[in-house]
Amino acid sequence: MLVKFNLNGLDVEFNVKPGEYLLDTLRANGVKSVKKGCDGSSCGACIVVVDDKPVLSCSVLTAQVEGHRVMTVESIQEEAAEISEYYSRHGADQCGYCNAAAALMIHALKKENPNPTDEEIADYMVGNLCRCTGYHGQQLAIKEYLGGKK
Amino acid sequence: MKAKSFQRASSIEEAYKLVKQSPRNKVVAGGLWLKKGGAEVDTLIDLSLLGLDKIEDKKDYVEVGAMVTQREFELSKLVPEMAREAVKSIMGPGFRNVATIGGSVYGKYGFSDVVTGLLGYKVDLVFYPEAIVSLLDYVKKPGFYDGILTHIRIYKENLKAFFKKVEITALDYPILNVAVTRGKEYRVVVGSRPLVATRCEKTEAYLNEGGKDFAKAAEMAVEELNFGDSIATKGEYRKQLALTYVRRGLEEVSK
Amino acid sequence: MKKNFKVVNNLTPSVDGKGLMQGRSAYTDDIAPANALIVKLLRSPHAFAKVKNIDISEALKLPGVECILTKDNVPHVPFTRAGQGYPEPSPHDKYIFDDYVRYVGDEVAAVAAVSEEIALEAMKLIKVDYEVLEPILDFEKAADNKTTIIHPEDGIHEMFPIGFEPKRNLAAAYEMEVGNVEEELKKSDVIVEDTFYSQAQAHAMLEPHTCHAHLDEHNRLVLYSTTQTPFHVRRIISKTLGIPVEKLRVVKPRVGGGFGGKQAFHGEMFVSLVTLRTKKPAKCVFTREEVFGSTYTRHPMRIHLRVGATKDGMINAIDCRTLSDTGAYGEHALTVFMIVGSKVLPLYNKVKAVKFGGQVVYTNHVSAGAYRGYGAIQGNYAVESIIDELAEKLGMDPIKLREMNSMKEKETSPIFEIMGEGTEGTAMIMESCKLPYCIKRGRELMEWDKKYPVKKVGDHKVRSVGCAIAMQGSGIPFLDMGSCTIKLNDGGSYMVTVGATDIGQGSDTVISQIVAEELGTTMDKVIIYSSDTDLTPYDCGAYASSTTYISGNAAYNAACKMRERLIKEAAAELQVKPQDVEFDGKTFVSGEKSVTLDDLSVGRLYNNDTHQIAVTESYHGQVSPPPFMAAFGEFEFDTETYEYKMIKYVTVTDCGTTINPALAKGQVEGGIVQGYGMASSEAVIYNSKGKLLSNTFDTYHIPTCKEVGELVSEFADSYEPSGPFGAKSVGEIGIDTPPAVLCNAVYNAFGVRVHSLPITPEKIFEAMKAKK
Repeated sequence: MLVKFNLNGLDVEFNVKPGEYLLDTLRANGVKSVKKGCDGSSCGACIVVVDDKPVLSCSVLTAQVEGHRVMTVESIQEEAAEISEYYSRHGADQCGYCNAAAALMIHALKKENPNPTDEEIADYMVGNLCRCTGYHGQQLAIKEYLGGKK
Repeated sequence: MKAKSFQRASSIEEAYKLVKQSPRNKVVAGGLWLKKGGAEVDTLIDLSLLGLDKIEDKKDYVEVGAMVTQREFELSKLVPEMAREAVKSIMGPGFRNVATIGGSVYGKYGFSDVVTGLLGYKVDLVFYPEAIVSLLDYVKKPGFYDGILTHIRIYKENLKAFFKKVEITALDYPILNVAVTRGKEYRVVVGSRPLVATRCEKTEAYLNEGGKDFAKAAEMAVEELNFGDSIATKGEYRKQLALTYVRRGLEEVSK
Repeated sequence: MKKNFKVVNNLTPSVDGKGLMQGRSAYTDDIAPANALIVKLLRSPHAFAKVKNIDISEALKLPGVECILTKDNVPHVPFTRAGQGYPEPSPHDKYIFDDYVRYVGDEVAAVAAVSEEIALEAMKLIKVDYEVLEPILDFEKAADNKTTIIHPEDGIHEMFPIGFEPKRNLAAAYEMEVGNVEEELKKSDVIVEDTFYSQAQAHAMLEPHTCHAHLDEHNRLVLYSTTQTPFHVRRIISKTLGIPVEKLRVVKPRVGGGFGGKQAFHGEMFVSLVTLRTKKPAKCVFTREEVFGSTYTRHPMRIHLRVGATKDGMINAIDCRTLSDTGAYGEHALTVFMIVGSKVLPLYNKVKAVKFGGQVVYTNHVSAGAYRGYGAIQGNYAVESIIDELAEKLGMDPIKLREMNSMKEKETSPIFEIMGEGTEGTAMIMESCKLPYCIKRGRELMEWDKKYPVKKVGDHKVRSVGCAIAMQGSGIPFLDMGSCTIKLNDGGSYMVTVGATDIGQGSDTVISQIVAEELGTTMDKVIIYSSDTDLTPYDCGAYASSTTYISGNAAYNAACKMRERLIKEAAAELQVKPQDVEFDGKTFVSGEKSVTLDDLSVGRLYNNDTHQIAVTESYHGQVSPPPFMAAFGEFEFDTETYEYKMIKYVTVTDCGTTINPALAKGQVEGGIVQGYGMASSEAVIYNSKGKLLSNTFDTYHIPTCKEVGELVSEFADSYEPSGPFGAKSVGEIGIDTPPAVLCNAVYNAFGVRVHSLPITPEKIFEAMKAKK
């Protein structure tokens, strides 16, 4: 079936299977920044932003985004570069596999709640599993990036 | 997921017709449990055109459309606080922006924090074709409803409320969840036993008749419920958790 | 010893961090050929069975199926999947496909089709005739089991004596003794004895195991894999498939975490064979369930300790008996086992006698393999817990007991000489050991004296503290080797190629820093490319905490050589003697004469005396200087439900110079949280038939950001003379302490000791019930 939506500012149309997930459609069409970490709605590496809301793309059917706006990290390059600088200050730039999704989450968080408390940052990022950093450096980086209040 | 077609129903009648057509046709709300189930589906029935994504103040109750996402539910000022807290404890925002309240309730999953939280309130479920069932009755009776869940009505009450989810990590299914509310009456709900949430009726009777010994009430609750094992946790420990949190919940709402 | 470094020990972003966050196509699946055949593996539903017959005829008929591999059509050559130096200390006990399947999830056939959907359909059409056999699912019943021999087949063998006795279900065995433990125990005033069970653990790295192969225009096989050991992969494929090494190329792209879980084969044999037979590209991506259930786990162990001490607190003797479960195959069996002893017991180097030994058994569990810590975390759990028990029996402060008995600078332990990596070890003096400082400083940072042992903080809440010390190693002496080539580009930038494998720990960055420091340049003038068996010189791979120390030293050697070479070149250019040339990284000066690196580099490529300036140097360790750590954890417990949370975890680490201080901290903290997961929330669970139940992130709980309290991670001011700019390793040590720290904190809070991991609230509850 044909599905039309807006991808990173561009109107696109893909021929997909009815049961096909957005993650697979995006990766098959060159958007490699979205990662398949678990394909089980649990790890957060597949996060994309649909209409300003972060969603697990492994669990959203491509057909369900018909007519919606989909955003991946390709459209927030400068912001991602800036977030990365904060990550690197805290040793959170390790394997990088969870980072593109994290950048999108942080972007979405900034829009929803520009001055979050530490707890609010943790609650927002909880669904983004990371095995490399131990989270501490990441959380500090995000706090500083957002201009940090306690 | 293997599916032969995806249909966006343009009316609830059309959606219901598709559901009745074959047991291999499935409503896809958020679609998370459908994916986890690994079913092979003929027609995926999508309800997103049916205006079921609103939360509205309907005087005596707040009406939540079945397609409202968990995240919309948790952020809505119209929804009572304890119910919001219960939903907020589930996974992360990326998950809750996909999962729907309807999907969470319809499946009456044992581990459901949504069901446990809502059972602390007076809640009715609205199905199409026309049927209104209390959430309590729905959870108690075996099987699911032959129809489509369209709305959840949370009656407005002046309540003190307590919710606790016991989990191994923040992204876990609960080992146990407990909701306690006190308005005109006490409601004591224990879920994820691992079975689905249930109200502790004998315990509530004791409390509503004026019983003040909360430790005793917690023991009564543990007596009238059954607890089982799951892969990581034994029933014995669940009992200890229930004993502790029912008591603490009662203390909390009785302050 | 603070040195005035300009790049080393300075805040330096990783070379790939920005690009990866920006979503560049860099991981193995990102760069797979779009038309690659999809390879899916058919896996055994039985824990132990003989494969009597496999009928693939129906499956082959399905349109789109290009190739099916089974035991009937692949080379029958035993090998080890373990990525280790040759000859490997792991038994060659694996066939690509065998007559037996030895765990639920073991490979039976590989299907290559034009799409995943078709491959999965084809798998359903393969008929396998199993003769189900009685599995061994309890590792304490494996040795000399009367009913079941898990490896009865012919042809399997050890590469040198490791105690391999498959007919007894033994993959390996080891014994060593220094002094006479029984005698010393008799002389001890106080003896403590206890047994600890550490569990298997899943690596749970975010990127699933992936590989793909294709034939290039020379008809050479090119294999991309998420591997920690590209050179070992090349060698093992060469020997097993009978292909000359020169016909193979193995490349490691960006890897999304390994932690040891990618230090052994996953899909590489299958995609290689498919490509060789079909001439088409082939790709194999493991599902998360396969990552959990069909790659590797940590070795679960039972560790029994007896420790004897005099009443003034000097530890006389330690006897450590260990039983390790290596699962279906023997990858890393002996070496992980030995490190339980060799990277824990030397901490207490003042003993008069120490004994370590035991067996590594086969079971029909998922194969155990390399995993960060590599035996040290299991050993640390047991030893650091029993030390607390000893302290209590002696009536001594547990920190003082450790201070009195633990390793200090310039000391040694006889264990270093005796125990190596499957063979004899290497004697060494601790040229850098700041453990006493680490303990003292950590104690301060934790405010231990205010908090020990337990304080009530609320109606049903207490907070307690626990501590542990740890050591690890830095590479394997004489076995681990790394090398580095540096080539000068026009414009004065350096192209660095190393075999060293960056799996997210930042070796590309650290190596670039070392080169930049030695050559007096900046990071933007250093370009690095790594882990390609064609284009980069050899490196053993990322394991044994070797990339900073071994590969880093190779890079340091190469940079020194390059500096020397450049000075010679400049001298020739300026027509002076090399000893009269000064180089500050940008300009060569000799008296009144000077030439810039920029001009020199252009001149040598284009103008006169044209030649490529390049050097290659190697390094192998002569010693394995251990990093040291003192860890202190504070936890808050609920006194009715025993639920707990981490309040604060303090570590002070001596890893010599921190080449990249932020990344070193990241390594320590990542290790701590991974170790904390093993201690608290992660549990590998099988059902009674041997099927792994904990095979998704839903059922296997790795810590989320909400489980981590405040981490305070400091580094001691230390300098290891044999390390590049004074550095030792830091990759593994972070993981070792949390199990003992938590176990000790629980004891301090409630007076019960939990002897198995994970230490769940439920287990504390059970222990408290038993106490009453």
